[in-house]
Amino acid sequence: MPTKKFQKEMNSGTASLVLLSVLSKSEEPMYGYQIAKLLDESREDAIAMKQGALYPVLRSLEKNALLSSKVEPSVSGPPRRYYTITDEGREALPLWSGIWNQMKSFVDNILEGESHV
Amino acid sequence: MFNTVEEYLDALKQEMQGVDSATIQDALVDAEEHLRTALETADESADALPAIIEQYGTPEETAAAYAEVERLTAPALSGSATKKQGSAIGRFFAIYADPRAWGALLYMLIAFVTGVVYFSWAVTGVSLSVSLALFIFGLPVALLFLLSVRGIAWLEGRLVEALLGVRMPRRSLPAPKNTKLLERIKALLVDKHTWFSIVYMLIQLVLGNIYFIVLVTVFAVSLSGVAIPILQEAFHLPIVQNYDVYYYMPSWGYPLTVLAGIFLWTAMMHLVKLVGGLHGRYAKAMLIAEQD
Repeated sequence: MPTKKFQKEMNSGTASLVLLSVLSKSEEPMYGYQIAKLLDESREDAIAMKQGALYPVLRSLEKNALLSSKVEPSVSGPPRRYYTITDEGREALPLWSGIWNQMKSFVDNILEGESHV
Repeated sequence: MFNTVEEYLDALKQEMQGVDSATIQDALVDAEEHLRTALETADESADALPAIIEQYGTPEETAAAYAEVERLTAPALSGSATKKQGSAIGRFFAIYADPRAWGALLYMLIAFVTGVVYFSWAVTGVSLSVSLALFIFGLPVALLFLLSVRGIAWLEGRLVEALLGVRMPRRSLPAPKNTKLLERIKALLVDKHTWFSIVYMLIQLVLGNIYFIVLVTVFAVSLSGVAIPILQEAFHLPIVQNYDVYYYMPSWGYPLTVLAGIFLWTAMMHLVKLVGGLHGRYAKAMLIAEQD
């Protein structure tokens, strides 16, 4: 299904920005499920992105030093990995949202623009 | 559909067959953390899991997400492969610009220290655990030791990934969940991973020593080749001294000893890189758990 593929491609780019933004606004370290819940609450329409896809993105952000994490045991159940935004992450965020805004207005212009034919 | 978290994890593992085993381990740990946390917070109703999985993604979707990110995230150091140099000599000396070779060199020197530490810890832990098993307090000792083996295996994995550029797990395995001391020990004891890790810790002493001795010997020989002209001309030190008989190298031999010294160490750097890669593969085979 080309639509699904398009959706996936859109997600993979925006997920990093969304996660970075969520963690920059949070004062405490957050674990994956917490972030997934928070994202669920903030959207009314059907879930476009699977929660499972957040985790590899979190890991890759950590790999690039934009996030840091530590594992802490939970009262019951498996230990949880808590993520915090790093200084590098805070520096990257305004640049990334700048790129996002540019991209958004560019695409909007194209979509809403009048035909030039 | 899936009735338990374990079934989902099995399916995910199945789906990720052929993917790098370290990525699989990360994906399984992430999925388990998420699904179990979600189950805890869900209502007591028995059929919460399908809804949770629906939100988390099917094993196929999850596997695809990891594959996509992994494709974009190369392990440390691997991005900087040596640039192609025109001449054979250029390529031979390009090894000095290769971070992999330097990483492997550093790893081998560190292995001398970690080898001793791992070996002592493994021997102490095994013998303490076995001998104290007679007493009731032997059980916590055994459990602590077995858990420490997991921690060390993970730590060594981080070291191997950073210095040898081989992808290793970025998460440590969760400890067994049973609350009963005996059952937790049993779960760790029947886990092949624990035993492979202990064997790795023992072998590391031997390997660390070999690496260290060979490196120091070759470095000393190479250095002496380069140093002979300086020592003879500036300090009048002979290359061989037998009581009061001094042997000096004729000056036409200077370029030869210097070149031989440089060549030997450069060749050694190539060997170090090669052995580093082999050690990485061996560490990967020994330290990564097959979750079954």
